[in-house]
Amino acid sequence: MSVKKLTKDDFAKFVEALIAKENVIGVQAKGDRFDYAPLEAAADLRLDYDVTLQPPKKFFLPPRETLMTFEIGGAYTSEHDDETFVLLGVHPYDMIAINQMDELFQQDNYDTHYMKRRNNATIIACDVMTPSANVFASSMKTAVVKSGYDVLLTDIGDDYVAEAGTEKGEALLAGVAEADAAALESRQAVWAKNEKSLNKHELECDAHYLPKLLDRAYDHAVWEEIAKTCFSCGSCNQVCPTCYCFNVQDDVNWDLKTGQRDRAWDGCLLDGFTKVAGDHEFRNQRADRFRHRLYRKAKYVPAKIGGQIACVGCGRCVGACLPDIANPISVYNRLIDDLGIG
Amino acid sequence: MSKPKIAIFDFACCEGCQLQFVNLEEELLDLLSVADVVEWREAMSEQNDEYDIAIIEGSITRLEDEERLMLIRSRAKVLIALGACATIGGVNKLKNNFDDLDEVKKCVYGKDAKKPHLATQPTKSVGEVVDVDFCIHGCPIDRKEFTYIVRCLVMGKTPEIPDYPICVECKANGNPCLWDYEQVCLGPIIRAGCGARCPSNGFRCFGCRGYVDNPNVEAAKDVIDKYDLNLDDLKTKMILFGSRQEPTIYG
Repeated sequence: MSVKKLTKDDFAKFVEALIAKENVIGVQAKGDRFDYAPLEAAADLRLDYDVTLQPPKKFFLPPRETLMTFEIGGAYTSEHDDETFVLLGVHPYDMIAINQMDELFQQDNYDTHYMKRRNNATIIACDVMTPSANVFASSMKTAVVKSGYDVLLTDIGDDYVAEAGTEKGEALLAGVAEADAAALESRQAVWAKNEKSLNKHELECDAHYLPKLLDRAYDHAVWEEIAKTCFSCGSCNQVCPTCYCFNVQDDVNWDLKTGQRDRAWDGCLLDGFTKVAGDHEFRNQRADRFRHRLYRKAKYVPAKIGGQIACVGCGRCVGACLPDIANPISVYNRLIDDLGIG
Repeated sequence: MSKPKIAIFDFACCEGCQLQFVNLEEELLDLLSVADVVEWREAMSEQNDEYDIAIIEGSITRLEDEERLMLIRSRAKVLIALGACATIGGVNKLKNNFDDLDEVKKCVYGKDAKKPHLATQPTKSVGEVVDVDFCIHGCPIDRKEFTYIVRCLVMGKTPEIPDYPICVECKANGNPCLWDYEQVCLGPIIRAGCGARCPSNGFRCFGCRGYVDNPNVEAAKDVIDKYDLNLDDLKTKMILFGSRQEPTIYG
């Protein structure tokens, strides 16, 4: 795949041309924060952002969507989103989260609703310029991304280096000049810096050791201790780029014959998440649910995706948690301190 | 299948939740296609003592209201509490913060306070007087939630009413937390289902849908410390809809 270079002026023209022919969703200011929103002008794009309020997962797994419409005792029709779109400004840690979700949604039951949107998307990722207050991607080895994107942008000062990751990306960059050696060197410097400096919270072990650490931590006192001040509000789940659990619910129309089946984001921290028939609830204590999320990130999901740790270090949960207890690093470090490594 | 008969009754309230039924506009005709409304003072003159579903709006503030409510309960197969006044007592429970109800009456009605029809007692939610089958929360109620619950009941299904906090819907809407903007938002302890309407429009959650089943008020106290606020800042917010209810903070 080719690596190109374009000036910031040329990049603005590139974005304007993209907006003219595609539905472009780009990172923009939202009050004094940032988030993804439909992009109307290149000038609104803020690739210098620190972190978006919501991760980009909602473009593939919306907070609420209709899976199918049905007639009771009759036929049903699956619903899919068919529009193509461009997602512009995805940070490496969020790209890696999307790569993990792609694997998960193709396992077991291939999720046509997710995958249709995913295949309709063009992703233009960009390296981090401004570290957020709670990012710890360096600790999670997600500060730099090598796959999944169609194009990866790196701000090297006056220019962007743009690398195509797919044929789709290659086509987008057709006509753009090749990057010279100096530009590649500058990009390497950005990567080297980010691999160290996106680390506001530092994990005291290699991230790949975490599943083994959790093998010994199930009955540790920390779960009970910290969960005492958990609201069970699920904010940590909602803002997480790798939380993908959902609930499914039917509703009927007024004819009481036809209806629709919707799915909406759920969260393992919520009371009732594990409620099953007969009102049995197998994680009915705050501590059980608090522990589950951290096991999910560093043990259960990794077991499904070849050992990749399912916390990508975006730090959103740290900022979203009112009682300040969601930071995975604090808990994992506490376990390392108490249980040691190996 | 014959259509179930619905009767709608109001007690102490502003009748704004019933108004949400009227505000269904064309959808009201859809509702009437699945159920017969046999009594509804705000919108029709007919009355009827035979009904399957009783919808109770308002809170209970007089002895004769308790008796009337018990009679309604004895006639209805299903009883629904409608809106904050009915589900939790709501703002009407502010009165219960005062020990001397005669003083309260004097303050509100002045020289008329002694008139017999103004006799009063501490406010009760509907559930404090009779068994309630379902609550439709909010001040006012959410029309979409109401119509969903009606369809569930007509189909013989149990409606899914959220028992998780407002934060879930607020975060799904992509909002930053209002606590970061110096607002004492009750979202983390209040029941969702409104779509986080107030926080999504820049106003803190006032708590009209009532507490979740297991609210963590200890955590709320910690958060007050974190933001360097006084416990009173939280208490004054909680008593608007949560007076004299667990776990509202007093003292």
